[in-house]
Amino acid sequence: MIPFFAFVSFRNRRNRSFRLWIPLFLVWLLLLPVAILLLPLFFVLCAAEKVNAFQARAIFWQILTGLKGTHVEVAEGQASVLIHTF
Amino acid sequence: MMNEHRMQILQMLSAGQITAEEAERLIAALENGRASGGSDESTEPTRKARPKYLRVLVEAQEHDHGDGPTKVNVRVPMQLLRAGVKLTSLIPAQARDQVNVALRKQGVQFDLNQIKPENLEEIIDQIGDLTVDVDDKHAKVRVFCE
Repeated sequence: MIPFFAFVSFRNRRNRSFRLWIPLFLVWLLLLPVAILLLPLFFVLCAAEKVNAFQARAIFWQILTGLKGTHVEVAEGQASVLIHTF
Repeated sequence: MMNEHRMQILQMLSAGQITAEEAERLIAALENGRASGGSDESTEPTRKARPKYLRVLVEAQEHDHGDGPTKVNVRVPMQLLRAGVKLTSLIPAQARDQVNVALRKQGVQFDLNQIKPENLEEIIDQIGDLTVDVDDKHAKVRVFCE
């Protein structure tokens, strides 16, 4: 499944923090019409580069679905960055 | 296959790496596994739980400027890794040849055309057994799959 939410948290050395819940499902819904519009261009580019368009589409979909559960957390002293996808 | 595992346990016992009790427990566990589901070699790999995530944990000691220790905690889904390595199959043949030429110029005798999806799948599967544990006075690094 594609990730539906992302949680982003920043904290700087001055201890100012910033947290954000991103509803990724809305982002996907907004990007869907753009993706549909760009689909013919995608097929043309794949044909020009002699790349299997269906295979490319499948791989990009796998990358998208594979993002679910990604967790990146970096902390240095007071500063920290956290990104987590659900 | 079972005899091979048993031999390994006995070799570890003779080398003093494990005690007699531990060896007995390991052998008993092997026999239980054989009794419950059979020791068919073709089913052994499927019974082993496939790891879902690759974890990287780094803890570096405090720097001189007193910022505090640096900690890194990264968890990457294995599915993302699989999809990422499959991207190599999208590289056009012409680009692959150019990359091969560039690699050979650097003295790297590697042919990108030899990379096949089944080989990459096997690599990803074997990464499940990967464990890196570095414990230094300046930093601790752990890489493992879970």
